[in-house]
Amino acid sequence: MSNAPALQAAIAAHRFGLGEPTLEPLRNDPQGWLLAQIGPADPARGSDLPTTRDGLRLIAAERDKRAAARNLPPGTTLEQSLAGHYRESTLADARSHVASATLTARPLMERLQLFWANHFTVSLVKGSARGLVGAFEREAIRPNIAGPFEALLVAATTHPAMLRYLDNVQSAGPQSTVVGRERRRALRAGEPARVTGINENLAREVLELHTLGAASGRGDPAGGYAQADVTAFAAVLSGWRVGRDGADGELPFDPNWHEPGQKRVLGKTYPEGPDALRQVLKDLALHPATARFIATKLARHVVADEPPPALIDRLAAAYRRGDGDLPTVYRELVRSPEAWAPEQRKLKTPEEFVISSLRLLGTTERQPVRIDGAGIGALGQRVLAAPSPAGWSDRADDWLGPDAVWKRVEWSTRTADRLGGLLDARALAERSLGPLLGDATRTQIERAADGPQALALLLMAPEFQRR
Amino acid sequence: MTPSIDPRRRFVVGAFLGAGALLPWSTLSLAASGNASGRRFVLVILRGGMDGLSAVPAIGDPSFEAARAALGRFATPPLALDGPFALHPQLVQAHAMYGRGELAVVHAVGLPYRERSHFDAQQVLESGGVRPYELGSGWLGRALGDGPARGIALNTAVPLVLRGRAPVDTWAPSVLPEPSADLVARIERMYAGDPVLATALARAKALHLDGALTEMARGGDSAPMTPGTTSLPAGAASARPGSFTVLARRAAEFLVKPDGPQAAVLEIGGWDTHANQANPNGAFVAALRQLDAGLAALRDGLAGDGTWKRTVVVVATEFGREVAINGTQGTDHGTGGAAFVLGGAVKGGRVIADWPGLAKKDRFEGRDLRTTTDLRAVLKGVLADHLEVAGTALDGEVFPDSAAVRPLALLA
Repeated sequence: MSNAPALQAAIAAHRFGLGEPTLEPLRNDPQGWLLAQIGPADPARGSDLPTTRDGLRLIAAERDKRAAARNLPPGTTLEQSLAGHYRESTLADARSHVASATLTARPLMERLQLFWANHFTVSLVKGSARGLVGAFEREAIRPNIAGPFEALLVAATTHPAMLRYLDNVQSAGPQSTVVGRERRRALRAGEPARVTGINENLAREVLELHTLGAASGRGDPAGGYAQADVTAFAAVLSGWRVGRDGADGELPFDPNWHEPGQKRVLGKTYPEGPDALRQVLKDLALHPATARFIATKLARHVVADEPPPALIDRLAAAYRRGDGDLPTVYRELVRSPEAWAPEQRKLKTPEEFVISSLRLLGTTERQPVRIDGAGIGALGQRVLAAPSPAGWSDRADDWLGPDAVWKRVEWSTRTADRLGGLLDARALAERSLGPLLGDATRTQIERAADGPQALALLLMAPEFQRR
Repeated sequence: MTPSIDPRRRFVVGAFLGAGALLPWSTLSLAASGNASGRRFVLVILRGGMDGLSAVPAIGDPSFEAARAALGRFATPPLALDGPFALHPQLVQAHAMYGRGELAVVHAVGLPYRERSHFDAQQVLESGGVRPYELGSGWLGRALGDGPARGIALNTAVPLVLRGRAPVDTWAPSVLPEPSADLVARIERMYAGDPVLATALARAKALHLDGALTEMARGGDSAPMTPGTTSLPAGAASARPGSFTVLARRAAEFLVKPDGPQAAVLEIGGWDTHANQANPNGAFVAALRQLDAGLAALRDGLAGDGTWKRTVVVVATEFGREVAINGTQGTDHGTGGAAFVLGGAVKGGRVIADWPGLAKKDRFEGRDLRTTTDLRAVLKGVLADHLEVAGTALDGEVFPDSAAVRPLALLA
């Protein structure tokens, strides 16, 4: 970290944070500015945001509408009666998601909030998670990103959104009460049983995507678990589900759906009942493969798509030293020289690009910026709607398709058309990027035909597209 | 085949691939000059693991009914194929192609990968390797080499399968304003020192400032179709910009151009059906419907000027699903499954399968349809006979160490 303080400030603002319109406030102590932010994420912005309880009520109302489908008014289809059922809730969630990141004074933690929400993806793409995706971020992720990883893992795994998103609400132990009851009912009614056993989706993804990493090793560490571990862990998870109303203060656990008996996961025996899940998650959180997997993902997120192995080693060691204490890992990262290399090796994702643009524009000139989640969607990253449980890619290759780059130009054109007449892009470039601003970009911005064009160039500059 | 390639661009592309590039720059293009023969190849990736036993039920297998329970009973009868096989009743237009001898079904087909992770299996499917992450580029990208043959992805991002030495085009519908050519020229100057961004922008510009296509891009689903195309029974959902049908139509528009891409890659998700798979309003049935409509749209778009006769389409997924249904009326991740090979150049109207049987003792690990045909044999067959990629290249560079996997004969 022998860089000039001004360069350090620019790196702190853009690489660790989410972009700043001016480097002035952090110029004296960029590292201290970051370290002082470490703590739980601020409460999400927005009023009357839907809670988990609200989401579950909305889901129950959807079910009622479907049940009443036989008695719809003539000429109305079920699709029409359900259209827009989640619209308000989804819009409120998306606005809050973007606004919280755009307006924060603690951008390091907001970046980490986005990182963890992506690590524990729960997505609107799957119907069963609708109504709960924003509540999941606000209740399971935001308060838990600056404590032990175990606490974050427990909160995410047992949240109704995750239990629904990865099908655990439908998973029943083959020997459970509910399966026996359903078998008898189906026999009497002469129809197939609706619930007969385990659904292993959540178990597999917790192992593969949230803790140990893929068993087969992908450059990330080998998790070393077998199909039998997935099945047994799924049995531990059976019964973790949400009832119709999801009453407060109760465990989302129904013993009637739980597989009786002990289970053996990764060579260790766990008891029957709800306590076993916490024990398995604790053991997973403390597993050395988890330390390495989390260290690799964090280093990849902040530093480079192919992060330096020495940095991964140090972050994993910090993780193990603190038994998964996340602030210990964050501090190690902030103090690592590799993270301060002047070369901007990370390409911003569409979400990061839009949020950093809004931060650049909104706060400087005090112009009301429309918080526009749809803008991010048009760039290929619909807010809160990652395509799979693996979340959005954190590698430039996946965002560098020519079409993706073209959409950024289009978005910059539209944004600059709206705001470029109101501000001086040349001054803004100097203030925000400081020593990162290169001659080629400076020259092009200075020679721009007009204000909007100058601003579009600033938004598309390599120094702003990268971090 | 490479004299027209600007050496600087090759360097640029090398930088883009970074650590993922495995091969020396000296290798020539592997595929024969596809543009001269006018042959076209389309790959459709079904992400999420399509249940091959629902898409292509083996209704005549003695264990089928017991193993599949409710998933083996269809609301309308499945559409008969050869032997014990049938097509899911949603695949009406695919069945018509089968009847015309344009579609072959490959069953009990799978990757050399036997674990059950989507992400690893998709990496193997696209990279052409045996183990996940041993290769950082894609088999189609390597087969196209760095010659004049080009690939296009109907997607905002470049899928791994197309990553190789050559630049790849991508296309997806837009809802934003078109930037001025002047702004783009200035950005290009600004990117002089950033070869990665410069390359991406140059490719995008070539695609978007091509007049006719740009006009269609603006229009989304209202874009005019090739004369002579029949309209599709596509619901509102499948006509959305970005839907599979729209992308398939657009792919056809690119492919019919004489100097258009030789290969196109499309994808369609929604196949990870852990629950309520038979629900007529559920994800699986919707995905089948989209696939069927999209393949028909592709055929219609290519049939007008005869391109369809020179086209092979392969539809593949990362793995099949377990033979037995799970506890929630769905299916969990398995291994063997089904693939489709279609097109005017295909010898269709047949099911290609070394059928292992569905009895528990015949299953892989007692759970999955056993893989008896390596998907690479299908892909190698198409690349060899249709794109005329040399056998040595197929056994080495394109699908490393795969000499033991013999190409299947699939062409008419």
